[in-house]
Order: sequence, then C-alpha cells, then structure tokens
Amino acid sequence: MKWYEAISKIDRRIIYSILTICIILPFFTRFKMRQNIMPQTKQLFDFIESIPSNDKAVYISFDYDPQTMPECHPMAIALLKHCFARNIPVIGGSFNVQAPGLAVDAIATVTDEINRNALSRDDSLIYGEDYVYLGWKSGFIAAMIDMGESISGVFPRDYFRSSVDSFPLLQKVDNYKNIAIVIILSASDYPEYWILYPQSRYGVKIGAGLTAVMAPKYYPFIQTGQLSGMMSGMKGAAEYENLILTHGYAKKLGKAETGMNSQSMVHILIIVFIILGNIGYFFARKNEKSQQ
Amino acid sequence: MFFILLLITVSPPTNVQANDNPNDAGSAIFIKWQVSKDDSLIEKYIILRKASNDTIYERIGFTVAGVSSFEDDETNDASEYTYVIAAVRNSEVANSEPSNVVHSYPQIFHSGKLNVLICVIVYTALLGIFVSKARKGTKLFVRKIPGLDAVEEAVGRATEMGKPILYVPGLGDIDYTSTIASMNILGEVAKKTAMYETPLIVCNRWSVVYTVSKEVVKEAFISQGKTEKFKEDYVRYLTEAQFGFAAAINGIILREKPATNFFIGRFWAESLIIAETGTQTDAIQIAGTDSVLQLPFFVAACDYTLIGEEVYAASAYLSREPLLLGALKAQDYGKLIALIILLGFTVLAFLQIDLLSILRMQ
Amino acid sequence: MKRRLPLAICFVMGVVMIIQYFIPHPLSLNFGSMINKWYIVLAAFALVLAIGNLIRHHSKKIQKRKQGWPYSVVTLTSMFAMSAIGLFWGVAPDSLYQLIYLHILTPLGATMFALLAYFMSSAAYRAFRARSLEATLLLAAAFIVMIGFMPFGQYISTHLPPFAEWIMRVPNMASQRGILFGVAFGSIATALKIILGIERSWLGGKE
Repeated sequence: MKWYEAISKIDRRIIYSILTICIILPFFTRFKMRQNIMPQTKQLFDFIESIPSNDKAVYISFDYDPQTMPECHPMAIALLKHCFARNIPVIGGSFNVQAPGLAVDAIATVTDEINRNALSRDDSLIYGEDYVYLGWKSGFIAAMIDMGESISGVFPRDYFRSSVDSFPLLQKVDNYKNIAIVIILSASDYPEYWILYPQSRYGVKIGAGLTAVMAPKYYPFIQTGQLSGMMSGMKGAAEYENLILTHGYAKKLGKAETGMNSQSMVHILIIVFIILGNIGYFFARKNEKSQQ
Repeated sequence: MFFILLLITVSPPTNVQANDNPNDAGSAIFIKWQVSKDDSLIEKYIILRKASNDTIYERIGFTVAGVSSFEDDETNDASEYTYVIAAVRNSEVANSEPSNVVHSYPQIFHSGKLNVLICVIVYTALLGIFVSKARKGTKLFVRKIPGLDAVEEAVGRATEMGKPILYVPGLGDIDYTSTIASMNILGEVAKKTAMYETPLIVCNRWSVVYTVSKEVVKEAFISQGKTEKFKEDYVRYLTEAQFGFAAAINGIILREKPATNFFIGRFWAESLIIAETGTQTDAIQIAGTDSVLQLPFFVAACDYTLIGEEVYAASAYLSREPLLLGALKAQDYGKLIALIILLGFTVLAFLQIDLLSILRMQ
Repeated sequence: MKRRLPLAICFVMGVVMIIQYFIPHPLSLNFGSMINKWYIVLAAFALVLAIGNLIRHHSKKIQKRKQGWPYSVVTLTSMFAMSAIGLFWGVAPDSLYQLIYLHILTPLGATMFALLAYFMSSAAYRAFRARSLEATLLLAAAFIVMIGFMPFGQYISTHLPPFAEWIMRVPNMASQRGILFGVAFGSIATALKIILGIERSWLGGKE
C-alpha cells in the first residue's frame, strides 16, 4: 500500500484510540488556553457584577437534564460561585422534571466548598438565608406568571418539603420585584417563555445558559435587549469560569475548562485527520491521472 | 428655622379601557390605560376589579411602572366587571376613574389566524388547479432527485447479495408529517422487496407507528400477490427510549448486516450513531429527514440524502402518479408565492414602509 | 369499502380538525382535547400489540438459539422486571423504579450519546474530502468554524472567532430557514393530500 493510500484509509480503530487519548489527556495535564470571551457571556457576567450585595436575589431556573449536563452543569456551578462570592442570594427552581437532582448536586457542590473554607458563620452559606432550592413545578407558564405575584404562593414548600414561610430569604424576596435577574439553564425553549410571559408583564431581566445547538436561535433576543446575557455551550461555561477566576471569585477553573481543552484537542485531531485524508486523496488522484 | 415640606402627590392613570380579550375561549378581559404623568416615580400599578353584584373592588394583580396593560384571565362570562388602576408610590395611592362595564365571552373565529386560513384556501386552490391539470394529461416536469433514483438500485443490490433491507421510519410519532411521508416511501420500498422477495426489517420506536408500518408492509405484499411471503418479523417494535432505540438499531445492523439502509423520517441526536454504524457494514445508505440539525450528519455518513421537502416529494416521484405530481407542482408554486411575498416585504422594509400596521393585521 | 371507509374517516376528521384550529370557543377546545385523549387511548392499545410483537420476536430468537439470543434474554428479563417493579412498588421519586432509571438507564443513554464524539470524527475524516467545489466550500467552512470556536483560534487571527460566529449566525441560519420553509410547505402539501384522499399509499394495496 502506498503512503498516500495509507493516510487516506486510516483504520477507524486507530482514529478512536488517538481520540480517546486526546479526550483523556487534558484531565491529567495542566495546560491552560486563554479563552476568547464572547460578548454575550461578558454581558451576563457584567450584569451579575452590577447587582449590589445583599440586596436583590438571582433566580436560577435549572431546566437541563442528564444528557445536557456536560454543557449546563458547569454553567450552574460557575454562576453559583459568582453569586455567592458577591453575597447575592440565590433562589432556584425547575420546570424540567429531570432537573432537580442535578440542581441539588450543583448547589451542594458549591455550598459545600464554600462552607468547608468558611472561618465563621458570616462566611458560611445558610440554607434559607443565603439560598433556597424550591424544586420542580408543573404547569410552567402559569407558574412563571403567578411568581410575579408571590413565589411562595407557587412554591409553598421547597424541594426538601419544608414550608417556605420559615425562610428569611423568601420573606424578603417574594416576587420579581426583588429579583435582579432570572437565569435559565436549559437545552430547550424555556427562555422564550420567560421572555414572553414574566418579562413582558413584570419587566424582569432574563439571562440564559444554553447548549451550543440552541444558542444561535437566541442571538436576536440579545440584539433586542430581551436577554441580558447568554452563555452558549461548554465554551460559554468555560468563558464564565475564566471570568470568575480572573476576578478572584474562584480559586481554580472548573470542569468546563477541562472539557474545552478536551474539545479543542479533539478539534485539532479532526482537522489533522481531515488534512491527512485530503493529502492522500489528492496524491491518489494525481497518481491516477498520471497513469492514464 | 422653618422647614417647608413639599407634598408631591402622584397623578393617577387615565383613560382606563376594558374589553373582552379577543380570540380566546372566554374568561379573559384585556385592560389598558394611559400611564400616570408621574410614571417615573411610580412603584407599580395595582389592578382592582369589581363585579356588577359586588360593592367593593378587589385586587387581582399588578404591573410595574411603564407597563400600561394587563390581562385578567379569571373572569366569569356571566358577570359584568369594572376596573380601576391604582398608581402606588410608597404609601401614596392614586386611583383612576373606573373603566367601562365589560363582560368576557368566547369567540367563534380566531381573527389572528386569518392569514393562515387565507394561505390554506390559496394552497388548496393551487392543489385543485394542478391536480385537474394532471388529470387532463398535462406533462409535469420534476427535477431529478438522486436519492430517490437510487432506491431501485439499492433494493436490487440487497437482492443480489441475499441480505436484508433495513428501514427506519424515524423516531417521530405518527403525528409528525415526516413519519407519514416515510410511511408512503415504505409502501413503495415494501412493494419492491415483495416483488424481489428480499427480506425487510422495519424498526419502530412508537407503538402506533409500528401498527401503521405493519399494515403498510402487509398491504404492499398483498398488492404484489405475495401474501404468504409476508412475515410478522419484518416489522418490529423496539423501544421508546431514544438511545435504547439507537442501540437496538446498531445491534441489528451489526448482526444482520443489511445491504441497504433507509433512514427516512424525523431524527434527533441518534442520527449519526446509526448512520455511522451502517458505514461499518458497507451498506448503501439512503437518508431523508426534515430535521435541519441532523441533515449535515446524514450528508456526511450516507450515500444519498433527501433534504427537507424531498422527503415529501418522494411518494409522487417514486410512483409517478399524475395526481401526486400535480400536488407536488402545487407545493412548488405555493413556495414561489411565499418567496414573492417575502421579497416584497423585504423591499418595503428597506423603504421603511410598515405595511402590516397599515393593514392592521396581527 | 375496505378503502373507502378509512378515506372517508380521514377526510371528515381532517377537515373537522382544520376547522377546530380556527375556532377558540370552549366547545371547539373541548372537542380538540377529547380527540387528543382518544389518541392517547389508541396509543395505549397499540402498545399492547407492539409489546406482543417484541415478546414474540425475542421468544422465537431464544427458542431457535439464533445469533445474539442471550441479548434477547436480557431484553425480556429487563422488560418484565421493570414492569413488575413499577406495578408493585410504585414509581414515586424515591422508589426502586426511579433508582434503576436514574442509575442504569440514564447513564446508558448518556454513554450512547457520548459515542457521537467518536462517530463524528470518523465521519468527518471520511466525508470531508475536497472532491468538488461544494465539498471544498463545506470543508473550508468547517475548518473556519472549528478553529474559530477554539480558544487558540484568536491567536491565529483575532478576526477568526467573530467570523466563525458570523458563519453560524448568518449563512447557516439563512440556509436552515430556507430548508424549514420547504419543509413547512411539504408538510402542508402532504397533510392536504392525505386528507383529500389524493395520497393513498398509506392505505397500501392497489388503487
């Protein structure tokens, strides 16, 4: 077999083996590529930066499922770290029935890390005072609208079945008036409904964290100002992780950055293979023509 | 030292109008008003409602400053209501004059869908025109669709190799039009497999699609006079789980090694998984989907891909029935009309003429 | 009669549901809701037939010891086990059923999803050859988008990331919308053809 035939017909097992190494390697090596921060990610970050501490809360709607966890879960963790570092209270809820387990995991990951390093009660995050997770609610459109009147009316109990009346946070923040922004983390069309209903009626600010496939659909909403910022895909999550690191809100980068390193390695590999395949193809064609 | 206290009183909202909410099933009233002159100082507007048999106003909701409308969706069609809008600033409240008396009622026709109705009527008329042209024997030109031309060759290949044909009608349920279009193509493919006595494997995700595809294949065999050659095993129900279905298809491809794979219908993320597995067995693959996000994967992994509406044209193309070809022409002319309207509105937008607001269409 | 009755039902129900779409009156909405419920009932009955087919197919395979018959044992065992667990122990959030779903089925689904990474690379390697002008354009666009969305794309050129985003936002969205237009008209045409009885291949058999 000639060399150009060999490189144009590489066995797929070789491709998969090299691919596996490229995916795993970034998890064991420490290399960091500076992320190019997209304007919409910076916009969302700057909005959170502009919220005064211990004032209004941020509402995060966890609406992703296990399949889209690699993209949306790091977004959730980065957002929570940013909010808690700036003493912004967080209220969480879900309209996707598969999301609550992931939401609890994200919140627990961040709060456990912060509380482990806390030196006093003031440094700690207290459930009910600094954050609350309300769980899943059906009938999302009616729920979104009714939360404009009273969040506790829509969620009388939180995810852990405790009455929300006992939470100081929800006594202070009971509707969109005391919510600085609602950020939806989703792989489907929930942000559109948030814009259509609560934003048009109550004027609440909306941000989004979407999978890379969904993101292009929402660019027009960024242009019109209906979305106050957006993270798109794992890249968006990695960009946000970089932003919170450079501003001192986190000590290290998260899983999205590692995932992006893997993704970048895989992209480079695919490009190399495509180039090899085309070189082999061109030389094979040239050889055919010269033989004719 | 004397302190002069200036009392700033807010102005109330004015011109409160309440009307039945249009195009709904009743139980909703739409209220609009002119915002207070001191809107920038206002915290919120509270909406108050009184039924005709009540004596006091009750609060039903609120909006923030700057918003001048509200939909009350909890009315009783048998009652009449009046509304008052209260502008609130700290402890100051300024009430508007009461609105007109109004009651809600359901509509018979949704005027917001008038444009859809016009399109349906125009389209049906086009269908009628071209179908009658086709009945009269007018020759209607349809361009070549390589993916559909390859169906005969693909079935022949499987017959020569003595291997089965795999047909996946997509992962959409029967209410997806692409699944129905796929059933039409399955009928044609099943007729050919019946004619050549080639084994056929049809894999279904949904139970209703399974029953429909079973009937389509059975009838195809009956039409070719090969009733006894039809096997129950030709049409299979796998699972409703998306990736479980993909795993099952992969297993069938790797075990039964079909010579030809048809992937026609609505697909999601599993499209590349099944198409790429098919390439491992050197099968000829014909795909067709209306899912724009999955088309690139099929184009990369399959030999032929039917893009979007080519799936819907397949039935007419394969059977060459005059009526179906006439319907296909109507489809093309409908698209042409839409294109002309699009270009027209683009030019109007460029000239900054807002025709829609002039016509007052929704 | 065998063909006329289904065609008549199809025509009547098709026209009725089109009319129902334009009428917001509660009677119309209730009718639409009732039809949807009937569909759910029909699907449940169809599920019985489908499950029967599944059991018959795999039982025959086990009986005749065909290639891959142990997988049929796994399939049938899993199906009956999950049905029994759901029926007798319930499907509440903390039930065994949910535990199996979350800890076995969901990771399996995620694993299959993860295969996409491998299949994308082998498909790209095989398909992205500059065989023609169109294939070369596809190749060039793929390169620009891949490199533009990578972190080091900005080091190659600062114009690359915005250009990559423009490709996704403008030509990509434009072509998607063009295809969607065609799909929309095709859907309408197919639906009308079936309702009006012009398209009869779904019935099977001769004309």
